[in-house]
Amino acid sequence: MICRKLQAVLGACALSLTSALVHAESLGSHQPHLEASLGARVSKVADAGYDPFANSDELAQVSLGLGGTLFAHDRFSLAAVGFWDYGTHTGEARGAQTSLVVHRLSVGPELRYHLITPLYVFVHALPAFAHSEASLDDGVAAATLSAEHWSYGLDGAAGAAFEVYGKPSGQSWRPRLWVIAEGGYGYLGTTRLSLKAKADSGAPERTAPVDLGSLSLAGPYLRVSAAVSF
Amino acid sequence: MRTWAWLAGGVLVLGCGGRPSAWDSSYQPVSTGQGLAPAYGLTGAVAVVDSSLERLTVLRSPSPLTLAAQSIPLGKDLATAQTSADRKTLFVLSRGVQPQRNPGDEPAQLLLIDGSTTPKVERSYALNEPMDQLALDPKNEWAVLYSGSGVVVNPNELELVDLSTAGSDAITQKTLRSFGGKPNRFTFTAPLAVPGGDPKRFLIVERDSDLVLIDLANPTSDVTVPLPLTDTGGSATSAQVVYDADSATIGVRVTGTTSVFLLQLAAPTQAGQDFSVVTNLVDVGGLPATIDFVHNAQGLRLVALVGTSAVLVDPVTAITQAAQMPVAFTGIRRITDELNPSATAPNGDVALLYGANTTQIAYFNLGGAPGALYRSIEPYDIGVSVKDVIDIPGDDFFDHKILETPSQDFYVLDLTNRQSAPMQTQTGLALEVAPDGDRVWAYQSGTEGFATVDFRTLHPISLQAERAVTNVFDIAAASGGRSAVALHLGIGEPPGIGATVVDALAPSTATARFYSGFDLGGIH
Repeated sequence: MICRKLQAVLGACALSLTSALVHAESLGSHQPHLEASLGARVSKVADAGYDPFANSDELAQVSLGLGGTLFAHDRFSLAAVGFWDYGTHTGEARGAQTSLVVHRLSVGPELRYHLITPLYVFVHALPAFAHSEASLDDGVAAATLSAEHWSYGLDGAAGAAFEVYGKPSGQSWRPRLWVIAEGGYGYLGTTRLSLKAKADSGAPERTAPVDLGSLSLAGPYLRVSAAVSF
Repeated sequence: MRTWAWLAGGVLVLGCGGRPSAWDSSYQPVSTGQGLAPAYGLTGAVAVVDSSLERLTVLRSPSPLTLAAQSIPLGKDLATAQTSADRKTLFVLSRGVQPQRNPGDEPAQLLLIDGSTTPKVERSYALNEPMDQLALDPKNEWAVLYSGSGVVVNPNELELVDLSTAGSDAITQKTLRSFGGKPNRFTFTAPLAVPGGDPKRFLIVERDSDLVLIDLANPTSDVTVPLPLTDTGGSATSAQVVYDADSATIGVRVTGTTSVFLLQLAAPTQAGQDFSVVTNLVDVGGLPATIDFVHNAQGLRLVALVGTSAVLVDPVTAITQAAQMPVAFTGIRRITDELNPSATAPNGDVALLYGANTTQIAYFNLGGAPGALYRSIEPYDIGVSVKDVIDIPGDDFFDHKILETPSQDFYVLDLTNRQSAPMQTQTGLALEVAPDGDRVWAYQSGTEGFATVDFRTLHPISLQAERAVTNVFDIAAASGGRSAVALHLGIGEPPGIGATVVDALAPSTATARFYSGFDLGGIH
């Protein structure tokens, strides 16, 4: 259900980006008109609420991105970009199996500047919202307890994209391949980790939630992607 | 290339950072052989020992049917723990960091934890040396620490902790003069009316072949009293110590002899003494199974149960008088204070006689004339033997006792009406009397079933938890009322800390709530 919702939102974003597309002329197709990326995002989650789910602070996610240039002037361009980051982490909390599944969707403007033709740098500030599902295999209850939450925040990052494959001519409309790296800080609000047993989980009647405190997935992150542009 | 190196470095930096090692340490219930119990019931909370994290997980009940948990850090290397007699305080003794390598290493300590509905660390006492054993004063005025665990141990060294004082001034180190023995048992007396001064409380230390009397008002002052030899001339040990506060008399049952040993505390006879001790040895005609002080119409007597005789010893004249018992009772419990005034015999005590080898109990009425001693024992056959007699706290059912039997049953004994109510069970049960004294909880550790018996109605209510029960405790709820907490410790895989809570005043599993995951709380 969540995945369907996210897919629908991503589709809508893609459509809006495409419809908003304008042609940038100065660098030709080196200034990506439409760009799709696939990569990995690694966040450092220092919040203590993350500890039951991982024995280190990193949260690795697969990252899908889509962007389109809205406005271009000389070496500058303004694009609308969106990312869907998906990651899961399993761990042990005092011997109990735990898992955390995180979907994160961020959409917003990105300002780009071409230092040289195959290289541009960018900054972006993307409003983000995330859905997390935490679960715990409770040995005493003999059931899996879980909690789902939405949280909201902002991703701010700067990075660079390097064109690794493409025709030298900016008039060519053949696909170009890019390697993109960015680093920044992703802020997300705090959610309460109150893990409950589902009705058919086999837990005893009136099982009280297990309170694992609060969780904030905010923290610095790196994203490395490969992108194809047109 | 440089870019990739920077990225790789960045990923490594992001990946750094761990979590507290506590998350990698599973909860395991403490085994009772370690000097600790898995959990302790207090007046307003249940303290579960989480030894792998060196902490207590304290469960309290904000209102009936609800539980909340908090963690209280304990000292390192737990040695032992005990609740006070009134269950208001938990005493936890830890050895600290041993050997100490740095000035900041945690010392051995005695921690006092308030067991009310708002549990907290009440006080701690830092110790110079780690100690392994703890003895508590029933009046909560003193604690004794002994039996160290260093490279060299002086078994006769005691640390007396004055619980009315904080800080290092509270601790008095004392080494008992030794003739080869070591402390085995401790008895804190009530104030004894020693002639020539104010009443004094004493600590009686039973050692292998002597007794040491320590004046608690002046702990540096002590008297060592050698025990008499056995009837065959061998060395004897004390098996039981009793005292009478008003006459400042101490009675000792000594192994291997048909005599009882009497110590009369008297006024000082020499300069520098706080008191003196006059000893006497009285033959009671056989090896006594137990002894106690009672009062009859003629005054104080030491009663010794010898075979089928109850031998009364006048501690002043050493004259003995015997009453024939119908069977060989081996236990005696003075119940005068528990009886209603109308049932109390004039001018004398009433005692309950029982034994593990007889199915009878008896009321020993010491109020009659000397010639009436032969008819002073009223036996009742209850059909099972009695292993122990459990007191009921509080004011509501002070005249009730629980008779614990070696079989699977237990009895609720109404002393006033002299009625016993048998409670039959399928299996042998552990009993937990509610601190308010209104009911008893019975359970068998490791099974789902548990039950309660209300002393007012004697109506048992059986309950079935959904997970195996390891302990049951009856605690006060902060908002009023009471909660019964059935613990599930070490149940499941991985083992954790869980509990089922029921309203102790209206117990029903139809409204019970189940809690788990308490072992995961409070980790930072």
